Amino acid sequence: MVNVKLFGLLRLDSGVKEFAAEAERVKDIYTVLIEMAKQNGKTITARNIGSCAVMVNGQQATKNTKLNDGDQVIFMSMVAGG
Amino acid sequence: MKSKYGGYMGKVIQLDLSTKQITEYPWTDKDRELFIGGKIMAAKILSDIFTGSENPLGEENVIVISTGPLTGTGAPSSSRFNISTLSPLTGILASSNCGGTFGYYLKKAGYDALILKGKCEKHTWIEINNNKFIFHSADDMWGTKISQCQQKLKEKLNPDGKKKYGHICIGPAGENLVKYAAVLSGERAAGRAGVGAVFGAKNIKAITASGNHVIPIYDKEKTLNWNKKWFKYLSKHPLTGNQLPRLGTAGLVSSMQMCGLLATKNYTYGRNADFEKVNGETLAEQYNVVNKGCMTCPIKCARTVTVEGKEVKGPELETLGLLAGGILNDNLQLVNQWNYELDELGMDTISAANTISYAMEAKEKGLWDAGLEFGKTDNISKVWEDIAYRRGVGDELAEGSRYLSRKYGGEDFAMNVKGLELAAYEPRMAAGQGLGYAVSNRGGCHLNGGYLVILEGLGLRTNPNTPKAKADFTMLFQDLMEMISASGQCLFTSYAFFPGFLLTQPDGPITKVCNAAIPHIGWALRAINKYPDVLVIHLPVFHHTKIFPYALNMPMNFGRYIRCGERGYTLERYVNARFGITEKDDTLPRKLTDVPQDKDDPKTVVPLERMKKTYYAARGWDKNGVPTEATLRRLKIK
Repeated sequence: MVNVKLFGLLRLDSGVKEFAAEAERVKDIYTVLIEMAKQNGKTITARNIGSCAVMVNGQQATKNTKLNDGDQVIFMSMVAGG
Repeated sequence: MKSKYGGYMGKVIQLDLSTKQITEYPWTDKDRELFIGGKIMAAKILSDIFTGSENPLGEENVIVISTGPLTGTGAPSSSRFNISTLSPLTGILASSNCGGTFGYYLKKAGYDALILKGKCEKHTWIEINNNKFIFHSADDMWGTKISQCQQKLKEKLNPDGKKKYGHICIGPAGENLVKYAAVLSGERAAGRAGVGAVFGAKNIKAITASGNHVIPIYDKEKTLNWNKKWFKYLSKHPLTGNQLPRLGTAGLVSSMQMCGLLATKNYTYGRNADFEKVNGETLAEQYNVVNKGCMTCPIKCARTVTVEGKEVKGPELETLGLLAGGILNDNLQLVNQWNYELDELGMDTISAANTISYAMEAKEKGLWDAGLEFGKTDNISKVWEDIAYRRGVGDELAEGSRYLSRKYGGEDFAMNVKGLELAAYEPRMAAGQGLGYAVSNRGGCHLNGGYLVILEGLGLRTNPNTPKAKADFTMLFQDLMEMISASGQCLFTSYAFFPGFLLTQPDGPITKVCNAAIPHIGWALRAINKYPDVLVIHLPVFHHTKIFPYALNMPMNFGRYIRCGERGYTLERYVNARFGITEKDDTLPRKLTDVPQDKDDPKTVVPLERMKKTYYAARGWDKNGVPTEATLRRLKIK
């Protein structure tokens, strides 16, 4: 199991803050998250998720990054402001 | 002096507050071409007035309130105006930019700018209506907080709700010469560098403006069509059309946390373990009532929260970062409340937060006990009042962190540059942002510094620790933002400069190439910065240049735009040099240059000296950081 946290617009769009999932690679989380959003009455796509920066245990990662039991995965929309 | 260009009202007015004499200040079309408006125009006017011996709180200081030519043309986010003066906090040029409606109504009254000289004999508020300048007694307003003052103005000017006017005013902090007092226009603030204290020193509580002048637009049809296209572009862009409207600047907290950019415990750390309690998502989910924006702004970045049963402006990223993790507070509603209290008192939230966090670290290190401790929140509201009314220890806190550190020690952790406290971005994981803070004309400002964090983790993800190319990008971004500001527009319109796909495809091949290439293209940027005049083009992602010929009939292209920005930036430096600013002032607190953020990674400091040399050379400033005669002539400053 890996622990997943969402920040930025993806969290607002999916209505999901955090969850645990079985996943071998980051991209395996996509389908779980899309389904959870659906249960919240919201629609997100793999493209929405793919537009986020991903961090695994605090290190930059990609959708193909391999995961281990207990890893923390963060999805974060790129942002700017002032 | 009447202008042949659209966008300008053609009149700059000079008010001698001591004699109540009103005269027109000579400002020609040549001046408009070179110095555009806003902060650049103000820098030129003040450069012609200041000798370098003025006292910021003395009668001899001068305030310039200036608009940009795009205000009133319908261009997106173009209601900003600028207040420039000699800062009581830094002792050098302050330029403080503000949203709200005052700039628009000043133009409706018929003026591009106001110059305030001398000092009112008594507490005064000034009513401007077309060609009438009425000096009213402010005895019944003096002492009021911002909302009370605004209510009194409304009762006097607009009892039946029919009259339209813009206003600016100060609160108790400005009256009591708090060195980081702000000027407010509605809920928006010209917050930085203590411009409110200069108003207080001149006995000005408020200024209102109204009138029925028509703001001229050269080609209405082309301007309207271009603005429509521009609005549409901003509304579809992932930052200006999605992130900023939905999360505001507060949405940055989480991202800064991930990148190690979130100033925590007075910039001791770049990450805050409790950030999830105080981030933009929590603000949006649990506290935000409604989004708001300035006139003609499609971005609408402002939050509204509830404090004491009232709907009030919510905190921006700076306030949220510095008054939460900055002082080890994990209660978001307290930040909402303090933000409201500081606005009501008329104080800059950034300097106020950094000043108390200095005091907290000073206590921790046994240097000074002001009754402030990291994590202790029950006395903060009282401290704001004590500062604003200069009571007890508040009288010293009102002087800012530089003053305190010189008196009690701890300059290494007094987080200011040239006296102006830093924003919430911790620069040890953003070397370019560190350079920007150090060389910024108004002191430790993230925006005037060039905002390189957008390349170094928040938008793109180029190597944050390398000094390579950072000086060249800093110069380019500073010049672009200088010009956007001078035009009367919000700097947030600049984010659309980055094509959306770069931000929404962080692992896309083009984005990866950009991230990898940025440190290696300093030479190209240096060439652009040196010879911008060859760029006689309009960039498809940068709508700011084409509006000039349409709305103003003023020739403009990307190269000329950069050159105008460069002129403004160097002109401000030229004024600051007159007040003694040199290379030795372009520094950072040693906590940021000598102590790695990650103790196991020596690269996590700001490699400032190397970047500074490249920066000065790129700008045509000498090794002491002073613009050379050749540079001043090249930029037509002399």
